[in-house]
Amino acid sequence: MKVVIKVIAVALAVTGGWAFSGPGGGVPGGRLPDGESHRFPWHKAGLTERQAAAHLISRFTYGATPGQVDAVVRMGLENWFAKQLEGLSPDDSLGVRLSRYDALELSNEEVANTYPRNGQVVKMAIQDGVINKDSVKPDRKEYREMLQAYMMQKGLKQEQDLFRQMFCQKVLRAAYSENQLREVMTDFWFNHFNVSLTKNDCATFIPAYERDVIRPNALGRFTELLLKTAKSPAMLYYLDNFQSSGPPKGLNENYAREVMELHTLGVDGGYTQQDVTEAARVLTGWGVYPIGQFARAGGGGVQLAKFTDAQIAQRGFVHDGDFFFNSNRHDKGEKTVLGQVFPAGGGYEEGVTLLGLLAHQPATARFVCRKIAVRFVSDDPPASLVEKMAKTFLEKNGDIRQVLLTMVQAPEFWSPEALREKTKSPFELAIGAVRGLNGDIQQPLPLFNWVTRMGEKKYYYQAPTGFPDRGTYWINTGSLLNRMNFGLALAAGRVPGVQIDLLALNNGHEPESAIAALDVYGKILLPERDLAATEKRLTPLLTDPGLAQRVNAAAGDGAMAARPGDWPAKPVPMAKAPAEDRAMLAQAVGIIIGSPEFQRR
Amino acid sequence: MVSRRGFLKGSGLALFGVGLMGGVPVFMAEAAASEKVTLLYKRKRVLVCIFQRGAMDGLMAVTPFTDVHLPAARPNLSLPAVANGKGGTLIDLDGRWGLHPNMKAFEPLFREGRLAVVHGIGSPNNTRSHFDAQDYMESGTPFNKGTASGWLNRAVGLLGHDAVTPFTAVSLTSALPRSFYGDRPSVAISNLQDFAIQMRGNPVAVNTTAKSFEELYDQTSAGLLHDTGKESFEAMKVLQQADLRGYQPAGGAVYPGSPLGNSLRQIAQLIKMDVGLEVAFTESNGWDTHFNQGTDNGIFARNVADLSNSITAFWKDLEAYQDDVTVMTMTEFGRTVHQNGTGGTDHGRGSCNFILGNNVLGGKVHGNVAELAVENLEDGRDLPVTTDFRGVFSAVADGHLRISDDKTLFPEWTGARAAVMKI
Repeated sequence: MKVVIKVIAVALAVTGGWAFSGPGGGVPGGRLPDGESHRFPWHKAGLTERQAAAHLISRFTYGATPGQVDAVVRMGLENWFAKQLEGLSPDDSLGVRLSRYDALELSNEEVANTYPRNGQVVKMAIQDGVINKDSVKPDRKEYREMLQAYMMQKGLKQEQDLFRQMFCQKVLRAAYSENQLREVMTDFWFNHFNVSLTKNDCATFIPAYERDVIRPNALGRFTELLLKTAKSPAMLYYLDNFQSSGPPKGLNENYAREVMELHTLGVDGGYTQQDVTEAARVLTGWGVYPIGQFARAGGGGVQLAKFTDAQIAQRGFVHDGDFFFNSNRHDKGEKTVLGQVFPAGGGYEEGVTLLGLLAHQPATARFVCRKIAVRFVSDDPPASLVEKMAKTFLEKNGDIRQVLLTMVQAPEFWSPEALREKTKSPFELAIGAVRGLNGDIQQPLPLFNWVTRMGEKKYYYQAPTGFPDRGTYWINTGSLLNRMNFGLALAAGRVPGVQIDLLALNNGHEPESAIAALDVYGKILLPERDLAATEKRLTPLLTDPGLAQRVNAAAGDGAMAARPGDWPAKPVPMAKAPAEDRAMLAQAVGIIIGSPEFQRR
Repeated sequence: MVSRRGFLKGSGLALFGVGLMGGVPVFMAEAAASEKVTLLYKRKRVLVCIFQRGAMDGLMAVTPFTDVHLPAARPNLSLPAVANGKGGTLIDLDGRWGLHPNMKAFEPLFREGRLAVVHGIGSPNNTRSHFDAQDYMESGTPFNKGTASGWLNRAVGLLGHDAVTPFTAVSLTSALPRSFYGDRPSVAISNLQDFAIQMRGNPVAVNTTAKSFEELYDQTSAGLLHDTGKESFEAMKVLQQADLRGYQPAGGAVYPGSPLGNSLRQIAQLIKMDVGLEVAFTESNGWDTHFNQGTDNGIFARNVADLSNSITAFWKDLEAYQDDVTVMTMTEFGRTVHQNGTGGTDHGRGSCNFILGNNVLGGKVHGNVAELAVENLEDGRDLPVTTDFRGVFSAVADGHLRISDDKTLFPEWTGARAAVMKI
């Protein structure tokens, strides 16, 4: 266990202190008590260590890479998990892949200046006399070309390019980051604090939202996440709080309602409509500092540019990055939320107090912890598990690492009811298949489009609820067929931009039959699962002696054909085996990826 | 084509089994069984909803041409009701309302009393954000963003029978629309031909692969995957029996080659296959006409031509099924009464919608639209919303699908239904 101590010590130094909490509660100073009691309790559930490792990987990563089960066993399950909680492994090769995208590091201001919304460009072009207002014909090609030329000349770029880069980084991080848990939790919290590209006003600010608000806090403290999302332009626009102001009119309750219903207390969290209205009043004046050259007149008529930061502060305003609190728009009357009185005359700070109050409610602890358990354990997690996690949540001040640790240390996490119980989302399926095959993603968009086709249009979920996290949402007749077709396409090299070398995975050997292929690649893609029944069931089907000849006859018939609208296909180097063997291999691997077993994690 | 109704009569069973290795699809047998009790009283009916995204200018689609305030507010965006030798002329519906000339295909349907217009329809929430207004209309809760389900998904839950088929609720869109969010099974598919095992590089292996998947899903212990897998393969076989590619619309109907035309053509195919479709959804884009909206020419004119021609082709194609089908359009809000500085109109409040069906109270422009004098406008600029969209949607849901539980369909709503259906 010495290694564990070392890893934890590093984590402590980095995060300012968090500790393994044993059954007896927190451990002062973050020292690890010795003994076996902190081994994860998989053995009690009757699992082998390899099975336990496979389970752990399936829940906290986007899928096992070849050989990863062995690696985790060698490292020790607890050590591996501690390192994932720490989330600071070097990601150099990912960095190389991301380096070809030029918008990933831009600030909101740079984004706003470079990727204006379409309407803004039109207005500018009219102002500059480049186009006549009578010739604005968005459905005409010449008009669009004229506008494009104008944008080029001005150094402006299409907003869609910004979003495409965001999609690409999402795929690449999920597939290649060493800090898998951080990526999984980034996805989880983004969905919890959902914002959507379908809403134009907030779309521009979503890349920075994920990068600066969600990812750095994904393994941090809940309070911090809550406060930072509340102050982010993406959320302020998405749920309209930017326009909410005090009397006589102008109160907008949308954010106040959803922050209680969806972000903290939950719909049954014991608040009333009166609490919603009062909370909305507390949060009036929270808005966005004008961002970039195209910014709408911000701050409710206040000419901010005229003021120095000191003058802004003097007037009771708060300017914090892109966030701006306008005290003129704030309702200064007395409010009461959940029984707590906010005396008249308050300002920005009472919103902070309110969010802190919400973050520390027992109802919030249960609601958030249940959602985490649904993500990692099962669609209907045991109440006993949620209670343990909620207790940690409250005792450890919303420390997300501690909550995750409590969950993994609980027997419920390892119970037979939990194993393979979750259904992979389309994104998890697609990334998991690529990881399982050591795929090389040269161009992520086609893969991203497949995820959309399978029913998960990432960043576009319209409602603030985020995607439902349950199998019944993901699995329907249309999406299931698409999953099978995805498997077949990926294995056959027909997902453009993704290179798969099936032979390399088997040390260059060709399996001698389809059944042998199922066996070899089943073990790679589905480590520690029992595949005997699958093989038995498929043997008569896949051992048709006439198959190879017929495939041979059909070879060359549209092989590698891309769907219309897909990225141009690149040739896939799988040429070492003859055509019929390649087809057989691709078919077998495609069947594994499309199989019911591979849909589960 | 063999329909389930034919099958129910008893003679179709053997026929249907041809080409279906497993015999009659279980989902269809179950759906048929669940209806036995009610079959005497009602036939399977289909509601087709078309969302016009971007906010259609209702005042240009169906114009109150006797109102003197309108040409004053829209000097460049008005069409005359009487030909003046300068371009198109509105189609006089009733002495007050004029249909846009590019919607002439709608005129006979209106005269026959099958097509109704509701004017001044919209949401009680006065947001002028596309996103918010669409979200509210599709969730059916104009003051609550957190509503997880969409109103059409709730409608599926209120159809009055438990068994649903994979095709009970189908959206001909690439992603599931907000209206379909929810617990009831619903499918988004942009092209029915995608509903098949696809192996472009290896077509010979399609059958063995499909059979392999079928075996594996049959064997799995995961109930959800087992059941959905079974349905998927059955649905796939049903679609394979139909000649999707070589489909010939009935009655000489010609669908526009637009996305809307393609969607409606496929919805018609599903209806004719009788695979259990009851709620269908699709959308039409490009209604956000801030710039150079045009009158009888231009972007708006093209849009209404596409809308009316697509719907009319659909109606003609379904001549033998018209009693079972109702089509309803919707849009998130209307547009300003005044034209703006760039030859278009900006985001407003009330708009109009179209309802087509044999049990629609058609041949009439419903609603309560006052003269467009400034003092009658909402915020001094917009056609006020005088009919809550929920009053119309619930009336259509009840009149056509016999869904009477308004509390579930539109929680928080206590208003009255609009009298747009014959009941």
